[in-house]
Amino acid sequence: MNFFLEGIYQTVGEHLPMWLMMLIAAVTGIAVVLGMVSLIAMFSVWLERKVSGHIQCRYGPMYVGWHGWLQSIADGVKLLLKEDMIPRDADRVLFMLAPGLVLAAILGAFAAYPLSPGIWFGDIDLGVFMIIAFSSMTTIGVVMAGWASNSKWTIYGSMREAAQVVAYEIPLGISLLVPVMVAGTFNLREASALQADWFGMKWFLFTNPFMLPAFVLFFIAALAETKRAPFDLPEAESELVAGFMTEYSGIRWSFFFMEEYAAMFLMSALGAVFFLGGFESPLTHFAGEFFGKELVVVGASGAKELNFAAIPYHLVAAVTLIAKCFFGVFLMMWLRWTLPRVRIDQVMTMGYKYLTPLSLLCVLGAALWEAGKHALFGS
Amino acid sequence: MQAQPAETPARYFKNIVDSVKTTLVGMKITWRYMLQKPITVQYPDERMPIPDRYRGIHYLEQEKCINCLACARACPIDCIEMEAVRHGKELEWVSFTLDYQKCMFCELCVYPCPKDCIHMGTEYAFVTFDRSEFKHDLLSFKGMAREARIRMKEAEAKKAAKEAAKARGETVAADDEEEKDAE
Repeated sequence: MNFFLEGIYQTVGEHLPMWLMMLIAAVTGIAVVLGMVSLIAMFSVWLERKVSGHIQCRYGPMYVGWHGWLQSIADGVKLLLKEDMIPRDADRVLFMLAPGLVLAAILGAFAAYPLSPGIWFGDIDLGVFMIIAFSSMTTIGVVMAGWASNSKWTIYGSMREAAQVVAYEIPLGISLLVPVMVAGTFNLREASALQADWFGMKWFLFTNPFMLPAFVLFFIAALAETKRAPFDLPEAESELVAGFMTEYSGIRWSFFFMEEYAAMFLMSALGAVFFLGGFESPLTHFAGEFFGKELVVVGASGAKELNFAAIPYHLVAAVTLIAKCFFGVFLMMWLRWTLPRVRIDQVMTMGYKYLTPLSLLCVLGAALWEAGKHALFGS
Repeated sequence: MQAQPAETPARYFKNIVDSVKTTLVGMKITWRYMLQKPITVQYPDERMPIPDRYRGIHYLEQEKCINCLACARACPIDCIEMEAVRHGKELEWVSFTLDYQKCMFCELCVYPCPKDCIHMGTEYAFVTFDRSEFKHDLLSFKGMAREARIRMKEAEAKKAAKEAAKARGETVAADDEEEKDAE
């Protein structure tokens, strides 16, 4: 991404006005992110249906393509062709705006997701903040949808969502502070690069005894943040029909669906980068040794040029991160089909009484551990 | 809501340990189920085995039936209708219909049959786009009418060949033996 835009800028930048350059950058970014999010959502939906099927001793989708892998495309076409309904008494403007806002927020958060160690869309120094802020912005869209639909189910769902996100945003941020503190950076790419030692196995998870509880806390908070079972109270199929999405159908409904899976992927990406080593694994390490890591080298003439030999390394790194992300997504699915939904008071109890103090304890313990290590070994 | 146990520090930490432990137990169970082979079958392609005495859609052995109406009389809801024209010993079937909107699959039509030619089949999936199609002609069901026609033509051809052979005055002993074997 960055190279593509830089290349455009270097070749034709002088002849184009600034606004056109920015437009090109924006359109490219939106296209890439939108394509990525839809692919992730499609694959995740298929994976979810397969995982849930096999957990319940069924097959899941089997007919469209090999083991039904094209099922999501068929479903997408169906959703596009469905009637777009707006309830008579709904607030039309807010009703139509809400799914767009929800999807836009999660697409914005994807700007901070690094594709590989050398390829990114936005190399943001406060990447963690960016992702957390944008992914909690979806709550505004959800509350908007709940209010605009003018229905009891939706308003209950969105109120629950608001309460839940407020409660779980705190432990989510605090438990992420633990690896951020150890890494000393909020940047996803830099944090990943810090874990490259020990043949790509110096993951933050293994460097500090307080990392594992922090990871568990982070994961639970991420489940609540992405409205996944056992914290799927905003949807709560058996109580609230479909929660805040009750009145939505067709493509607008699919926006909410895409948002859910994209948020799952993004939360798993945060977990993967800050606990599970990001791009780093033994495979990435040896690929880096073998192919070289630098994508841009200074050529003989002194000009920057692309080093095509390093592309396999970047491919391996990107696939490693995506695999780790989908491992997290799979864990979320596995939990969803294992645990029953908790009550709203239990959700609140868990968020305020258990996760928040425990995550604070983790931060304290990790800080003391790091300080002690620094004092004893001086590194 | 049930009464909450008193909040004590011991209780607090026990809650944490319990929730982690029970979650792991549950995850172990679902993991085991996930790796197991699914127990469902891909329905329209494969089917579960059906017991032999299952009472599904009727099956008629048309060549045995003598149009005696015993089954139609036995039917408690009068859903069987049949029509045939008799040519000497041969029956020319017009229709043998069963109205599956009425039929309750009681099997009472099977017992009175003197020739034992109507049976309950094992076919149960019965979907049509039109209500009128529920009035089923057992003669045409699953190509049985076509098979019957083919059989009839074969028999006629054989008969014609036999008569031709007789007319030529040849012996037909071999043919007769064959027929006996077939019977």
